[in-house]
Amino acid sequence: MSRELNVEALARVEGDGGITVTLDGKKVKSVTLDVHEGPRLIEQLVRGMTPQDDVNVVPRICAICTLSHKFAALRGLEKALGIKVPEKVQLTRELMMLGENVESNSLHTYMLALPDFLGYPSAVAMLTDYGDDVKRALRLKKFGNHVMEVTSGRIVHGENPTIGGFGKYPTRKQLDEIRLKSQELIPDAVRDVELFGSLEYPTYSESEKMLFMSVDAPKKKYGYYGDNILISNGKSVDCEEYKKLTNERVVAHSFAKRSKYSDRTFTVGANARMVNMGKRLDGQAADLFKEHFNERWMTNPLYNNLAQAIEMTWSLEHMPEMCEAVAALDDPKFAEPTRTTGSGTGAVEAPRGTLYHHYEVKDGLVDVADIITPTAQNLDDIEMHMKLCAERMLADGKSDPEVRLGLEMVARAYDPCISCATHLVKLKRA
Amino acid sequence: MHKLRDAPGEAEARLRSELEAVAGEGPVHVLGLGYTDKADDGAGILVAEALKKPFPSYSHSEHDGVEGVVLDICESPGPGTVFFVDAADLHSEPGTIKVVRSEDIYEREITTHRVPVVLLATMLERSGKHVAVICIQPRTIEFRGPLSEPVRSAMASLTSALGTIMEQRDL
Repeated sequence: MSRELNVEALARVEGDGGITVTLDGKKVKSVTLDVHEGPRLIEQLVRGMTPQDDVNVVPRICAICTLSHKFAALRGLEKALGIKVPEKVQLTRELMMLGENVESNSLHTYMLALPDFLGYPSAVAMLTDYGDDVKRALRLKKFGNHVMEVTSGRIVHGENPTIGGFGKYPTRKQLDEIRLKSQELIPDAVRDVELFGSLEYPTYSESEKMLFMSVDAPKKKYGYYGDNILISNGKSVDCEEYKKLTNERVVAHSFAKRSKYSDRTFTVGANARMVNMGKRLDGQAADLFKEHFNERWMTNPLYNNLAQAIEMTWSLEHMPEMCEAVAALDDPKFAEPTRTTGSGTGAVEAPRGTLYHHYEVKDGLVDVADIITPTAQNLDDIEMHMKLCAERMLADGKSDPEVRLGLEMVARAYDPCISCATHLVKLKRA
Repeated sequence: MHKLRDAPGEAEARLRSELEAVAGEGPVHVLGLGYTDKADDGAGILVAEALKKPFPSYSHSEHDGVEGVVLDICESPGPGTVFFVDAADLHSEPGTIKVVRSEDIYEREITTHRVPVVLLATMLERSGKHVAVICIQPRTIEFRGPLSEPVRSAMASLTSALGTIMEQRDL
């Protein structure tokens, strides 16, 4: 017998999309993640702009990963223009990324994902029993926002990072405040790890061993940028070869493009970073990784939440060292272009995964822009895991509301940003 | 509801009176929400930005990190009032202003990677603050579009009414 089961809106993700599960009896015929967010054609919009104008425009793709877009664009364009930035510029950008990571991961784990696991419809409902945790989340988010503001000039769409440098650098006083506050907040992040580490993770969406990609952070350390891409099969690929990794294609049901590598779906994000670089963590984050990481992380996307919590701990632990390093250096002059024509690719780790910005610059103006977002890379894997989840839950006699929640949890675990990639779950019975 | 067809000054006086009825003792904070790149959707932010000049410690927009501001207000001692200002589809004429009391705030958590206003409102109330959402009916939320005249006019009335109340509180 055929029937339809709809989840009208996938809550707590960024952007507008939908999921359609087509069922024939208990058999799941297909699962599609339909992205309804209209394409904004940013890549075409920036053609003919100066590199600096591009850097100001492209972060408008999204107000969540705004600094990741900024950083990726800077890296791609500076490569194209033959610019090597001074150490203080690089370190200040890294600090900026740590802030964005804390801001985004705190909100996603504590407020958007945790209610599902604890059996609440939302963070609002959690407030009575977990009021202190909600406050922890807000404290962490506020601090992440503060670091973003100090480094980029504003909480959202800051314009302080520019080609070759920064308009102004954080003061010693600002850096000292960040250093002290980051240490004070580490227990809040560790509490997040404890919460997610104590949860039972449903097995419905577990697959064969997944394929993961992330940047290979410099100096064999954990981090959020790199010129090479690590694949969990052991390969390392220059990020300039990003097209061979992502192989973008268009699908009929979605405004977002899809990616596969060697005909396999793959996952980017915190879980991927942990699989590829988790052994490089240091401090308390390393202890938490050793305590919690296991083989199931490589088969179950729900562990991305725990990965984000551990990573947030690392970001906070890493801030004091970064602040000291920034404060120790004099403010440099802007690094100047050494050519006006060239190409380059910037690969950075947005909170939700690897983000590529590729540019070709001709006579000082952007000629080609190609932006590949983490959510677009994850969509095929999200669909694959949702299909497994729907099949197993239905076979297990779960009710429609339970199936809906199961599917939403899988999608939310990826922390998708549909606004970046260019929600609602429908179950259709054939 | 306050509509443009009211006589000049009349709507603003009634709006001010309604806001005064919501506000309890202590300072009045304004938190503007929205998206300024989408025409009338930015009304809340623009009202907050306008009030920030005379009341820098008491008016904040989404650009200031609204969650952090709410946390600070929650942790501040004593009573107070928070007015969230946002564009909302009231199924009314463009520029219509409606003051929604906290018990009537209903917000579906869809398509957003942010802390829901209803959660922030609940936290504020639990800390003893009064809360209301001032909604403005947009005419257009076209990307990169200009503000519509009815919304611009409503924003001016609201800014004036809120400014008067904040001034009376001798901040």
